[in-house]
Amino acid sequence: MKKYPLGEFEEIVLLTVGVLYDEAYGVAIKDELEKRLERKVSVGALQSALRRMEEKGYLNSRYGETTNARGGKRKRYFTMTAHGKAALAHAKNLRQRLWDDIPDIALDF
Amino acid sequence: MLKKLAERFFRWYCHPDFYEDIKGDLDELYLREDAQAHRLGPDAWLMIEVIKLFRPALMRRFILFPYSNHLDMFINYLKIGFRNLMKHKAYSAIHIFGLALGLASFLLINEYTSFEKSYDRHYADSDQLYRLTTDNIINGKLTVRDAMSFAPSGKMLMDELPEVLSYTVTHKRGSTVFKKETNLVDEKMVLAADSNFLRLFNYPILAGNKDQLLVEPYTLVLTESKARKYFGSADPIGKSIEVLGSFNRPFKVVGVVADVPENTHYKFDILMSLKSIQDRIERDNWNGFNYYTYLKLTPGADVAAMQPKLEPLAKQYIGEESNLYFNIQPIEDIHLYSDFTYEPEIHGSAKAVNFLSIISLFILLIAWVNYVNLSTAKAVERAQEVGLRKVVGARKQQLIGQFLVESLLINFFGALAALMLAQVLLPQFNFLVGKTVLTSVLTNTAFLQKLALFFLLGTLISGFYPAFVLSSFKPIGVLKGSFSRSKHGTLLRQVLVVVQFAASLILIANTIIVYRQGQYMTGRDKGIDIEQVIGLENPSFQRDQVDQFRSKYKAFNEELDRLSGVEKVGGIMNLPGGGSSDISSNAGGVRIVGVTDIIDGTVYINAVDEDLQEALGVSLVAGRNFIEEMASDSNAVIVNETFLKYLNINDFESVIEEKVQFGRDPENDMFRIVGVFKDYNRTTLKNSVEPTLFYRSRIPGNMVVRLQGDDPKAAIQTIENKWAEFFPDSPFAYSFLDNRFEKLYVEDKKFGMLFGNFSILAIIVASLGLLGLASFLAIQRTKEVGVRKVLGATTGSIILLFFKDFIYLLLVAMVIGLPLIYVSMNGWLSNYAYRIDFPWWAMIVACLVIGLFAFATVGFQTYRVAILNPAKTIRYE
Repeated sequence: MKKYPLGEFEEIVLLTVGVLYDEAYGVAIKDELEKRLERKVSVGALQSALRRMEEKGYLNSRYGETTNARGGKRKRYFTMTAHGKAALAHAKNLRQRLWDDIPDIALDF
Repeated sequence: MLKKLAERFFRWYCHPDFYEDIKGDLDELYLREDAQAHRLGPDAWLMIEVIKLFRPALMRRFILFPYSNHLDMFINYLKIGFRNLMKHKAYSAIHIFGLALGLASFLLINEYTSFEKSYDRHYADSDQLYRLTTDNIINGKLTVRDAMSFAPSGKMLMDELPEVLSYTVTHKRGSTVFKKETNLVDEKMVLAADSNFLRLFNYPILAGNKDQLLVEPYTLVLTESKARKYFGSADPIGKSIEVLGSFNRPFKVVGVVADVPENTHYKFDILMSLKSIQDRIERDNWNGFNYYTYLKLTPGADVAAMQPKLEPLAKQYIGEESNLYFNIQPIEDIHLYSDFTYEPEIHGSAKAVNFLSIISLFILLIAWVNYVNLSTAKAVERAQEVGLRKVVGARKQQLIGQFLVESLLINFFGALAALMLAQVLLPQFNFLVGKTVLTSVLTNTAFLQKLALFFLLGTLISGFYPAFVLSSFKPIGVLKGSFSRSKHGTLLRQVLVVVQFAASLILIANTIIVYRQGQYMTGRDKGIDIEQVIGLENPSFQRDQVDQFRSKYKAFNEELDRLSGVEKVGGIMNLPGGGSSDISSNAGGVRIVGVTDIIDGTVYINAVDEDLQEALGVSLVAGRNFIEEMASDSNAVIVNETFLKYLNINDFESVIEEKVQFGRDPENDMFRIVGVFKDYNRTTLKNSVEPTLFYRSRIPGNMVVRLQGDDPKAAIQTIENKWAEFFPDSPFAYSFLDNRFEKLYVEDKKFGMLFGNFSILAIIVASLGLLGLASFLAIQRTKEVGVRKVLGATTGSIILLFFKDFIYLLLVAMVIGLPLIYVSMNGWLSNYAYRIDFPWWAMIVACLVIGLFAFATVGFQTYRVAILNPAKTIRYE
């Protein structure tokens, strides 16, 4: 079994939650993602990634305030957990080691 | 509109924990430019997003468990069911053991019957393969059906009929002596076959050029195990084996095929090319039908429609005068349905297979019936539970579910026990049927699948009715306490008990009858004395050395006669105790010249020497035996009583010195009748004595040696020593005649044993059920018994009172069962030429046994209740 099961999209979402720190709720995450990825992200893909990661323990969530535009419905803010951080670090390390092990000649274009 | 729909859809499926914030997000996004500017409009945008949100991670749990407590209830049902099992350990054991016995025997028998039905289905296109056989039809009446056919008929039919794609002609050689280095091996399963044989029957060819097999004369194809036997691990192709007897020359091995599977009616160990016996085929031509011919027809060929076309062909080729006709039968039916003369092996019987299937179904049904009976009888115990569950809100479907789960539990344990039981009993079962039907049930997926199927089926069949009864109790009646005795299913219960009784009656009586008939056949006087008599196959010799051999043979006979362990030596062509096909016959018409007209039909031909009568103990009813010194006896024959009766002659003395002639041509040879043998049984007592003519031969093929003294083993040893002295080139092969007869009844014995064993199982299962039912009914009436005892009833009168209920059922069962016994078994007995009279006493014995059984079980259970102190049993009210 994988120690830190984390899909590619999940990883990006998790990083984005980190970037937004205290402001990470659905629409904000979506906007940030779309800006950085330069493509559309559906609510469904985002939300299911968020809930999956919450279940895995990478994210915590709390209800926040509401706005007029939301018709009285509260926002849900996500924050990264220590476990989520470890998962991200693990993924980053893995990539880093791979980068390091590529012989220079292979990158010499 | 679309927006509303999307929102409702989303609200419907979304997990309530997630709904608020996701919906908020959606609302927020809906008002944005992206959504508003969507090319299908903002509402469509929402719908698309909602559909994209339709993911398992965000859904509420509604697909598997609409009401979240269903799984919990299921677990609860299992728990309650298990507690109930443990609470009534004895009843549970009865159920589980009964189901295990039922399932195990049903599935084992099913394996056996499907094995029997699998015969000859392993060839590619086996549904297109047929055997050509020969019918003897006299004056429009079918008399003898023969499995063999004329050698040229296969080719002729292929030329004449478009339906025939190809054919193969084979000859069953019986025993042939092969020489392995210096050892002589008597090979019993040798066929001569043409080069089409391995194309029609696609046995895997393991070595050799597949186009060149059996083409050249004097070539052999061995099965894998025979190749290993003769050549070990060396490559057999191109090597030679010496074949003795009439060939006495080396044969070249050109191929090896896989061993012939057990479920094949035409088995062989060694094939030799048909061209090796070309001279014989040419001699037989359209005169003798001594060959097995198989045809391959076009797919879907209509055999019935072909039959009329065969008739003129028979007239054209076999002869205008002949009574012989072609017949075509599917190869898949041969093993179970074909009962012709000269079948290549002792065949199975569809009847036996059906009988066994019925018994096995009986056992399984009885086990299921036990469950239905006991659980409906015990319904009253669960009534309060049902009432309470209903009051608390259980619906009827839920209660049915609960009791089905309980039935599932019991059936599951039953199936598990059945699996273990089947595995333990398997070696015993294989021994009983005389074949390795299965090596292990645990590794056989087909068996496990069937077990699973019948486990589920049993759960539904046995569980549904009790579940229905139990769940239909009215809570008011139950909880008020006015509901004390279960009237539910009483009639059904009685019907089921009657069925069990009747089935047991039939099985017991039938077992007795099958057993008696078997005993009768082995014990009946066969007209000859076969105790301590052995048969010896004659040594082989070259055709051109007949005279030399004859004197050697005679000297050997005289030597044997002189041995102290030997009483008498005689010679005969076809030993008593052979299969129905081990004798020659003539179907060309026969008459006694000047006395009878030509009688059409089959008569059988045997050959004996003058010593046989004494050696075998055959009596003469008229005339005399052959006399050695009399030269005129060379054309003398002896006939048996049946032969004369066949020709409608009852005064046996009158035909002595008259002449017998075969065929229609008055120029044919005539034989002088010098004596009449008393009938004796040559083969199984299923067949009547064959009308037989014995001609005289000085070396008829087999020796019959009557032993004397107390030590037959030593006598045989001395005979073997003499044999080695005289015939060092021939193997010494002997058999006791009584053993030969016993072997003829192998199939009957097997059937009897199977029948008997499984009948006993069925009766065990039935009495288990009766035991449970009786015990329960007795316990239920504990208070009644107490009151009766207080009022002065004795223990005996109480037992009788309870037993009376079952007596009525037993009587009904007799009325149903006894006629069935008579009909089925009288039919079965009529298959035998020599049969016992219908044993009426077997019915009485069966009734007594069942009565006794019922009395013992009911009596014992009632007794336990009846001896209780009434002061204790009626204390509470």
